[in-house]
Amino acid sequence: MTSHIKLKNVSLDFPIYEGADFSFRNKISSFGRLSLNKGNDNKVRRVVRGLDNLNIDINTGDKIAIIGPNGSGKTTLLKLLAGIYMPTSGEIEINGKVNSMIDLGFGFVDDATGYENIMLSRVIRGESIRDKDSIMSAAEEFSGLEQFLNLPIRTYSSGMKSRLALSSALYSVPDILLIDEFFSTGDLEFSKKSRSKIKEIMDNSSIMMFASHDLSLIKELCTKAIYMKNGSISYYGGIDEARLMYEKDYS
Amino acid sequence: MNIFKTNYAILDLIYSAKSYYAWSYLAYFDLKLKYRKTYLGPWWVVVGMAVSAGLLCLVWSTIFNLDWRNFLLYLFSGFIIWTWITSIINDGPEVFYGSSALIKAYPSPPIFHVLRKSYLNMLLFLHHLPLILILLLIMQPEINIRVILTLPIAMLLIFINSVLYSSIIGIISARFRDVEPTVKALMVPMLLLTPVLWKPEMLGEYVNYIYINPFTYFVGIVRNDLIGLEFDIYIWYGAISITFIQLIVFLLIYSKKRNRIIFWV
Repeated sequence: MTSHIKLKNVSLDFPIYEGADFSFRNKISSFGRLSLNKGNDNKVRRVVRGLDNLNIDINTGDKIAIIGPNGSGKTTLLKLLAGIYMPTSGEIEINGKVNSMIDLGFGFVDDATGYENIMLSRVIRGESIRDKDSIMSAAEEFSGLEQFLNLPIRTYSSGMKSRLALSSALYSVPDILLIDEFFSTGDLEFSKKSRSKIKEIMDNSSIMMFASHDLSLIKELCTKAIYMKNGSISYYGGIDEARLMYEKDYS
Repeated sequence: MNIFKTNYAILDLIYSAKSYYAWSYLAYFDLKLKYRKTYLGPWWVVVGMAVSAGLLCLVWSTIFNLDWRNFLLYLFSGFIIWTWITSIINDGPEVFYGSSALIKAYPSPPIFHVLRKSYLNMLLFLHHLPLILILLLIMQPEINIRVILTLPIAMLLIFINSVLYSSIIGIISARFRDVEPTVKALMVPMLLLTPVLWKPEMLGEYVNYIYINPFTYFVGIVRNDLIGLEFDIYIWYGAISITFIQLIVFLLIYSKKRNRIIFWV
């Protein structure tokens, strides 16, 4: 089966709500003011444009790096493709099973053991947990946490937590793999191990999108790059060209 | 049919029905975690409930000079159903912003979190139910066999209403944070206004006022058959009507606001 991702004029706006915006009294009183005084500034809803008019075609075999400064929309784009955000306007067409590795470890329960958290995160992702034994042994082998997997994760160090988070996400080869940067976590041995495992999954998935700042890693794993700037795709093509543009803009 | 392709409420309901295993597993897990590290586990709630309902019965029957035998079963069953309803009403407002980390990290539809919470509340009710059954065995009131049919239907109806209510109030209160304290404040007087701690006939000529209160219907559909009270078809009509009203509001509000929940939590 061929997988593809197609974005057509896709934009995403983030409405901004602060303190008083959440108050009902505030809403009622501003409603009164508006009806008396049309064109009041209050009527202008504060919005931040997260993604701006994206048009892109991604097909089977594309391994794409997403680069750009913080706040340029890398994670937002991944979350949009994962189905976490819906676009404010435009069309998205996705063909293939998506597995996202964004905000790994969110929703972990501190009082539950490592094993239980792996099960929980799989269930939340909509994956089957019928084959418990093989999930467990895979997690044991990959995380290297061994007997710690039986302890509540509030006893874990942050490095151990990220090992667990990564193990909970790496289990099957999806058609479309979306990864947000996370390689900085874990010690040397684990980084090496997770890299080889992720590389294996990446090689077997038909489309991979990977947001990262690590340019050498990108060269190793990806074939193309998207350079994002202020929520829009500033360049899509070769890695070297994208990197040159990025460096030029911020040198 | 176009409406089925574009209506998020219907799409999400279909998705959730298919992923029944996931949210029920999570609810069961929440329950397990709740009682970890306790010795009596889930039985703590049962003990607590037994003590409060027992004391209430004692005080009430003294004050009102009632036959406590007659009143005990009524009060116990009403109290246990009321506990279920209160937890639905109080948990509803925080159903979305309480799950904000999950909503922002995973693509599961928002109603998934509602089902998880509603199912957990039903599981809690289920392990209070034996308390009523024990009392039934002791008191042995005359019970119509009909209860085998009406009890599951009544519970299902409350579960459905719990999902609809929590979705609606969850969306509103994610947007307006005043809703949660308001709802919680209202639930205390509602207990006094609902025929749980007293019997409708004690109201005398004002008895019909109980039908203004929506909780009367939901307490009634579970309790009346369970403890052998007279069958009242009107409370069933009432409960079903409320379900339809909630369903319409749910379809309107959820389809329209579903994609904005993530920005509010």
